Amino acid sequence: MPLDLLTELMARATGRATYAEARWVDTVTEDLRVRNGRVDELDRARATGLGVRVRVGGGWGFAATRDVTPAGAEAALTRALAIAEAQPVGAERPLAPLDTPARGHWASPCEQDPFAIGLDDKLGLLLAADAALRDDPRISVALSTLRARRIDKAFASTDGAACTQRIVQCGGGIQALAVDPTTGEAQGRSYPTSHGGLVAQAGWEHVLGLDLVGHAARVGSEAVELLTAPPCPETTTTLVLHPEQLALQIHESVGHALELDRILLGEASYAGESWVTQERLGGVRYGSEQLNITADATLPGGLGSFGWDDEGVAAARTPLIVAGALRGTLSNRESAAAVGLARSGGCARAEGFARQPIVRMTNVSIEPGDAGSLEDLIAATDRGLYLESNRSWSIDDHRLQFQFATEIAREIRDGELGRLYRNPVYAGVTPRFWGSLDAVGSASSWALWGLTNCGKGEPGQVMEVSHGAAPARFRDVQIRAAA
Amino acid sequence: MTAEETPLELAERALGHAQGDAQVSVHRELSLVSRFARSTPTQATRVDDVGVRILSLHNGHTGAAETNDTSQDGLRAAARQAAEAARAAARLAGGRGEHPGLPAPATYRAHEGYDPATARLDAADAGGALREVFAAAAERDLEAFGIWTAGRVTTALASTAGIRAADDVTDAHLKVVARDPVTGRTGWGSGTGVGLSALDPAAIARRAAAKVTHQTPLELAPGAYTVVLEADAVGLLLEAIAPSAFGGPAHVEGRSPLAGRLGTRVAASSINLSDSPRFARTLPRAFDAEGVPKSPLPLIQDGVAHAVVHDSLSASRAGGGARSTGHALAPGGFGAGPAPTNLVLIGGGVADEAALCAPVERGLYVTRLWYLNMVHERSGLFTGTTRDGTFLIEDGRISRPVRDVRFTDSPLRILSATEALGAAQRLISEAEFYGPRFATGAVVPPLRAQGFAVTGQTLAPQA
Repeated sequence: MPLDLLTELMARATGRATYAEARWVDTVTEDLRVRNGRVDELDRARATGLGVRVRVGGGWGFAATRDVTPAGAEAALTRALAIAEAQPVGAERPLAPLDTPARGHWASPCEQDPFAIGLDDKLGLLLAADAALRDDPRISVALSTLRARRIDKAFASTDGAACTQRIVQCGGGIQALAVDPTTGEAQGRSYPTSHGGLVAQAGWEHVLGLDLVGHAARVGSEAVELLTAPPCPETTTTLVLHPEQLALQIHESVGHALELDRILLGEASYAGESWVTQERLGGVRYGSEQLNITADATLPGGLGSFGWDDEGVAAARTPLIVAGALRGTLSNRESAAAVGLARSGGCARAEGFARQPIVRMTNVSIEPGDAGSLEDLIAATDRGLYLESNRSWSIDDHRLQFQFATEIAREIRDGELGRLYRNPVYAGVTPRFWGSLDAVGSASSWALWGLTNCGKGEPGQVMEVSHGAAPARFRDVQIRAAA
Repeated sequence: MTAEETPLELAERALGHAQGDAQVSVHRELSLVSRFARSTPTQATRVDDVGVRILSLHNGHTGAAETNDTSQDGLRAAARQAAEAARAAARLAGGRGEHPGLPAPATYRAHEGYDPATARLDAADAGGALREVFAAAAERDLEAFGIWTAGRVTTALASTAGIRAADDVTDAHLKVVARDPVTGRTGWGSGTGVGLSALDPAAIARRAAAKVTHQTPLELAPGAYTVVLEADAVGLLLEAIAPSAFGGPAHVEGRSPLAGRLGTRVAASSINLSDSPRFARTLPRAFDAEGVPKSPLPLIQDGVAHAVVHDSLSASRAGGGARSTGHALAPGGFGAGPAPTNLVLIGGGVADEAALCAPVERGLYVTRLWYLNMVHERSGLFTGTTRDGTFLIEDGRISRPVRDVRFTDSPLRILSATEALGAAQRLISEAEFYGPRFATGAVVPPLRAQGFAVTGQTLAPQA
């Protein structure tokens, strides 16, 4: 990794900007998809380059290049300075200080390099899962997917940072769409998540552990079963959420709401604002006593884990909500300084080399409770609904009023799962919903759920994050019918 | 790519490394983005990048590899990876694959999608626009938030089937949210065009500022409302439903809300919707990602569903003589499949938004929508919220602001219940550039429809 090139560039940047940083990124990707017995997509990509961000007169400038030579780096620095200087002059604002400059190397855990596994093995696994998914003629579409990423980074700044990192991610998933030709009804099921499968910072061992083939027949038959299931009734009732759906609930109604740039209105025109205004940072009540949320970039396997963020701030574990009360936010050096924090929360992340770091989630997780397993939680519930596998999500531009749909619902009656329902939708308002949380599963039922499609920023950036979640129960939730 | 080498020359050089049937696509992007918040610049980004994508075919199976390393070694490695992938797909799947083969060379019509002045990408243009926006917002003691962005994108294709083509386009966008720092009320203004001359920063900012009122917003109960949707809202609804309603794969798989309904009435008779890449004010392109020429395609004519879009692979899967309609978004049918990128909804005879409101005794006026997501694909049901300028219509006029609402409704149902269309169309684009820059937009009028399904109330931070 060209760390020397970056440190030499930063030496030349000193005096030309109040702050500068350079980041080299080499991203290697592989995406495989089997559809109805055929290899539908086999796509590999590599993008390498460096991005330079500078601070001049209170404004930022960023330029990227794929020319990783001293001349190319200098040209990128010059372009970054020029675009910063062309902006209307803003007030000079400090950056939160660093405890120590980022130095050294960090690597994510990986036992078996997914890029060393042959295509025949990968496609063989997907084709086997595909065949098992299509056991019924009403399965219109069967999809099996694998995904792998290897990201090498080098980073240097005028604050003395000089570090390198290697991140390896992989994962996979399966989906089945069943269509009834007589009624026109269409229903889908997926495993282990509905958003492209379950991805982690891990090696091929993670994919093997998912046992996609072993779950495929069940996924296909459940899609078919949903075709004739009754619609979920409209009601207000107790809701038990599978951890995958709870992970997205955390993502949308806690994680995004606690991004400090959003709270400070920096995203007001695009991603939106937050119901957590700057005045509420002192400790607004976010939910019930059962609600404990932590941002932790040190979790092994989490897609939001790293050694240092993309401003060179060391990975940290930060309590965000403790016993229902707001205690922290997700911040970078600029937003942390703006509200008087002693240091950044270490949440500056960038996609690839051609985008600048912005405030992103790391691994934002609900802490385990004491409600045991999913089975224990259902056994302790008299009446209600159990919802699993996200199908739709939407939340307003203050991260308050939301509506989610899942693939499947089951009635809970006298502590047991009963009738299957299709098209369940639930809605709520963030602090009221989290205020109705009365039970969270124990550590044995807690796991990391990765999301690979978190969009933010202009130009847009897609980021991978994880959320630790256990099954959880909410009281008096509004259930709507759909379709 | 050297300074002297054109994207088409790079594509041809890469094709020289390909093994067997192959298509090379080169995407060259030069762009500027300036973001601002609270009437202060916040981020400024300059992108200068090239991507070379090689699609390899082997017995009807495909594999692809992409690189931004344009050295001979880099291109050779990508070509080898693509060929390996196609061969592996063929070996494992057994039998011939579904891909019908690369499209033949075609003749492309010239278009007006390139503006030399915009292609210069002068950062001073961004600075000047931001100053105008900030000044216009300050006239009403408001703060401005948004982006100014301009880009030049060159796409070049070379294939073993004989295609040699290059297309140069530019695009420019300004999005402004004007916000009252005391009440938090917001208003929206935007502009999009092939060139910077389509943007009037002060006028866009004033349009956003005019949406911000000092009246206390009303809370609207769930129910069905007569609605007047501004062009921004109409464009978002159409772009949201288009891949499912008009995408060939969704029809083949039986999940489209219009599956089995082609040739039947699916909208009000006043609805004429097409994908028209050369319509006035759209963002034109010469060809799609496979080199198939872009040409107009009627989707709904006089309320009757007429056609769906295909790329080569989806047309082959559809059978029955279906052919690519020139709507591939990626070579080889990769990604999400084909989709319309130049939607045009023909306007009606109503002068403007005020005239659309005139017959409404009590209804909802919507400037913009937010966070649209599909609830149930087969029924075409979507949910989302209103944003940045939502008002009550009473006795034929906008009377007061209302709190933003959640709706859960089908865009196709709204087209069925459309009573009137405005005469003036606008090019609407969200200018969301994830991955390589690919500007799209819809040319649409405002409209009035019955029965807009409000299903919830968003709440202000003080709630």
